[in-house]
Amino acid sequence: MPKARAARPRPAAAALARRNGQTAAAMVTDLRREKLRFDLRETRRDGKVVYEWEGRVTDPPPLRETAALSRDQALAIYRFMLMNRIMEQQLENLYKQGQVVGGVYFGLGQEGCSVASAFALGPDDWMAPMIRNQGSLLVRGFAPRDVMMQYMAKSGSPTRGRDGTSHFGDLEKRRMISPISMLGDLIPVMAGVCLGERMQGREVAAMTWIGDGGQSTGVFHEGVNFAAAQRLGLVLVIENNLWAYSTPLQRQVRITDLAVRAAGYGIPAFVVDGTDPLQVYEACRQAVARAHAGGGPTIIEAKLMRMKGHAIHDPASYVPPRLLEFWRRRDPIVRFEGYLTLKGWLGESERTRLRAEIEVEMAAERAAAESSPMPTPDDVLEGVYCERCHHPTPHFQGRPS
Amino acid sequence: MELTFVDAIRQALIEEMRRDPAVFLMGEDIGVYGGAFKATAGLVDEFGPQRVIDTPLAESAIVGAAIGASYTGMRPVVEMQFMDFVACCFNQITNFAAKSHYRWNAPVPIVIRGPVGGGVHGGPFHSQNPEMYFVHTPGLKVVEPATPGDAFGLLLAAIRDNNPVLFLEHKFLYRRLKEDVAIDAPPIPLGRAKVARPGRDLSVITYGAMVQTALATADQLAARGIEVEVLDLRTLLPLDCDAIAATARKTSKVLILHEDTRTGGIAGEITAILQERCFDDLDGPILRLTSGDAPVPFSPPLEEAFLPSAQALANHIERLARF
Repeated sequence: MPKARAARPRPAAAALARRNGQTAAAMVTDLRREKLRFDLRETRRDGKVVYEWEGRVTDPPPLRETAALSRDQALAIYRFMLMNRIMEQQLENLYKQGQVVGGVYFGLGQEGCSVASAFALGPDDWMAPMIRNQGSLLVRGFAPRDVMMQYMAKSGSPTRGRDGTSHFGDLEKRRMISPISMLGDLIPVMAGVCLGERMQGREVAAMTWIGDGGQSTGVFHEGVNFAAAQRLGLVLVIENNLWAYSTPLQRQVRITDLAVRAAGYGIPAFVVDGTDPLQVYEACRQAVARAHAGGGPTIIEAKLMRMKGHAIHDPASYVPPRLLEFWRRRDPIVRFEGYLTLKGWLGESERTRLRAEIEVEMAAERAAAESSPMPTPDDVLEGVYCERCHHPTPHFQGRPS
Repeated sequence: MELTFVDAIRQALIEEMRRDPAVFLMGEDIGVYGGAFKATAGLVDEFGPQRVIDTPLAESAIVGAAIGASYTGMRPVVEMQFMDFVACCFNQITNFAAKSHYRWNAPVPIVIRGPVGGGVHGGPFHSQNPEMYFVHTPGLKVVEPATPGDAFGLLLAAIRDNNPVLFLEHKFLYRRLKEDVAIDAPPIPLGRAKVARPGRDLSVITYGAMVQTALATADQLAARGIEVEVLDLRTLLPLDCDAIAATARKTSKVLILHEDTRTGGIAGEITAILQERCFDDLDGPILRLTSGDAPVPFSPPLEEAFLPSAQALANHIERLARF
């Protein structure tokens, strides 16, 4: 068990009342440098109903500076983002070669959010990824081969071929909880992680992600409200990538900023540009600090765009091309490279060297994944139950409450 | 200690919470109020609101949070105010908790307990027997005790089990049964049935409140010379197939009795097990007596007609005995 911080005393009732009394507007902190709307118009073209976007395709502003990240930390985030992207390119190649069982889910355009959010967690904290948060897995210490073997259904995968994609976890070392396909269910689970830790004398942050699609579920409400009522350190990143599979945001909700939901729970929220890793990190850092202080949950809405289809089979022809072009100019890796270059932290030769290094590393990871055998069926019915193969053990600090 | 059925459950919670600081309770109105059926009365006073947690009215959050807390080493016991409401957290139980260990080696030691069953005029949403939704889900355990002593011992075992356990308490028994319970006795292992009454002529396989109906009917029939063996399943998942086969081999005639509705009830499963294991041992058809395939009706004459009656049971047994 990593060393954990002790539970802080509850804030005074007056302070709590003050916080709960804040107005909706005051509770949402908007860190964005450009505040955009993505209203789509439904129109009929050649007898087909299509979506159109009438906004202007502009260049993005510079990233928002944060004092919280050192050069080394910023470069670490950059490296993970690059790994995320190159790993997904490898996954696409594996798929095209018929080596993947099922589909592949991409986080293209979302790498900055996946990586910078997970980067804000400490070793005692917990996380649970969503399907596109493959960058978060890398930050948390999983190897690209783990992800590849999951997609290839290999015996060496973290689930030994029993599940695929990002559906894996590690309770002991990495404190990562496996997601399930039903969206929203992770939210109360992560609240419960905070509750269990608090009962053992520790205030931790438990981060999970959800999309604009998943935030429509009933269990989203139940989970966020439970975390708020119990003041648990849930850090909920809503990756508003504008599309729930093929359904645009405005077909799902009557609001523009999903972060405003936080007001209904009496908790603070951030709105950030999800293609700016510095904003994502800053908001998550504050949310994690608040969790560590026993301050309760935070919602962070990251505005970004899913740059591929729902999964590899989906060409996403329903996305208006100009909208895609708008976001293509906001490629998080390109933007972050610009920032690092401007800061003098990343030169041209260093950038080339880093890419080459990751390409080599990824080829080795891929070779390792390919060499893992498929699982043998002899134990297909084993492990349905835990028959004393594990010993769930709490680690109380101080006197049990 | 002489305990009613509900007090035996309460006592088991107390014993486990005293023994193990990892055990805690969550549910609706279980704290100051002590629970809708008082299964947790006074527990908040002894263990405090940190370990006896009143939750929002949100079953998915309750079970989800229990799963999360269990991942940190805790052993949550959550109450469904009525087990009918377990439908609201079906996904957390069947998809999150049940598959966790198989998928990624993460045990989920939680207990979801609460009142089931009819006979108290609770109507369609406060009388159901939801066991088979969960018996059909690998990874879960499903327990339904029939006596205060079994309720106590099985709940200890359920809490110490490393798997998600549905612990179904028939509310008709809560205050109608009372017996001496040894609170220092060891837990009763899950997955083992019990011969509640030995007999040589035929077997009634049942569980929950129907065990009491079977025992009372067996007493009556004994006066008429029919010796009925009553097998109390106690755990529905995993089923005690050996005990089921043993009683069938002993008496050669089997009637399966359950309050749950007919189609897809456990009687069908037990019948299949008997066909597989005891085909040559049977001297008569396998009969089943169950509730009809309908929602549980509200009005007393309707509910009475819906539930398996002692008279119907006696008729079925006499018919089977004639083979």
